[in-house]
Amino acid sequence: MDSLSTRYLRAKKIPSTACGGCGLGQVHKKILMAMDELALGVGDVVWGSGIGCAGRQTFNTWKGDNFAGTHGRVYAIATGLRLALPEDKKIIITSGDGDAFGIGLSHLLHCARRNVDITVIVADNLGYQSTGGQYGYTTPLGFVSDSSPYGAIEQNWIQNGIDILDVLRAGGATFLARHSSLEGYDAVKSVKAAIKNVGFSLIHFIYPCVSHFGPVSLKTRDIDRIFHWFKGIFEAGGVFGENFKSGIFHDAGNSRPEFASSLRSQRAEVEAGHLR
Amino acid sequence: MMARRCEITLDADGCKGCGYCETVCPMNVYERGAFINERGYTPYRAVRPELCVGCMQCYYVCPDFCLDVTPDEVSR
Repeated sequence: MDSLSTRYLRAKKIPSTACGGCGLGQVHKKILMAMDELALGVGDVVWGSGIGCAGRQTFNTWKGDNFAGTHGRVYAIATGLRLALPEDKKIIITSGDGDAFGIGLSHLLHCARRNVDITVIVADNLGYQSTGGQYGYTTPLGFVSDSSPYGAIEQNWIQNGIDILDVLRAGGATFLARHSSLEGYDAVKSVKAAIKNVGFSLIHFIYPCVSHFGPVSLKTRDIDRIFHWFKGIFEAGGVFGENFKSGIFHDAGNSRPEFASSLRSQRAEVEAGHLR
Repeated sequence: MMARRCEITLDADGCKGCGYCETVCPMNVYERGAFINERGYTPYRAVRPELCVGCMQCYYVCPDFCLDVTPDEVSR
């Protein structure tokens, strides 16, 4: 373990059970680096995880308080926690593309609408890889997967002018960003900004899957080729098109009332007898 | 003359031998090792650490938290 993970993560859970070459740890590390720079300690953060690769590999790794949600429901649980916990306690959630952009999308959108002060890190491996490599909500069109042997024909959330981050922005999210797990400090800066935003923040991280997406969709197990394919998704000629960029997508930080603080304010007014 | 030198610590027990460090290193510092660790992986080694310029690309890309790169200003 490195010095960063020794400080924040449980030794018996690191290295995780992720496949060798899985990029999830790269996402995990950037979150820890952001926390470190913000001087957040183990007691300052409650870490929630979803289901799938992203949930499994980050579940219970955090030395502090943590919880796992059922598939797609971690955002609703986090909303409850937000109401119950002190305002300065940070809530960070790591979930996958299926969890956030599929089964849990309705919960996610309601969190955005309410502007609940949570930071959601969506670790996206471009499909349902932990269940064998079925296509999902971000699998590139035309790509072969376990459930699309002749190529995916179902429109995804990030191609042909459709963007899930546009949906979340329209839904009221106050901070949105997109990165590849292979990026460096720019991604850490986005995570820091997301954590500092008192409201709903989401970062969409795309990371390499070397066990299913690589061999089945990219037709290679070569780590170098997989690395360069994922490195190139934001470059000219990338699979998701010219408008698919990394960086901060929408920053309206602290521009709207936050759900839990609004409720607290109203409760204080009721208790003071100002509202009847 | 002050030059940047870095100390590289690589946890061979935690390394899964993915090879991202070798892929990103512009100075060819890393090579796959010759032994299999307890988890059944062939870990990488920093075989030319004196060439490290501290770009930190390996640190950002290592997915298994087994690399520490510590910059150290020394004269040489």
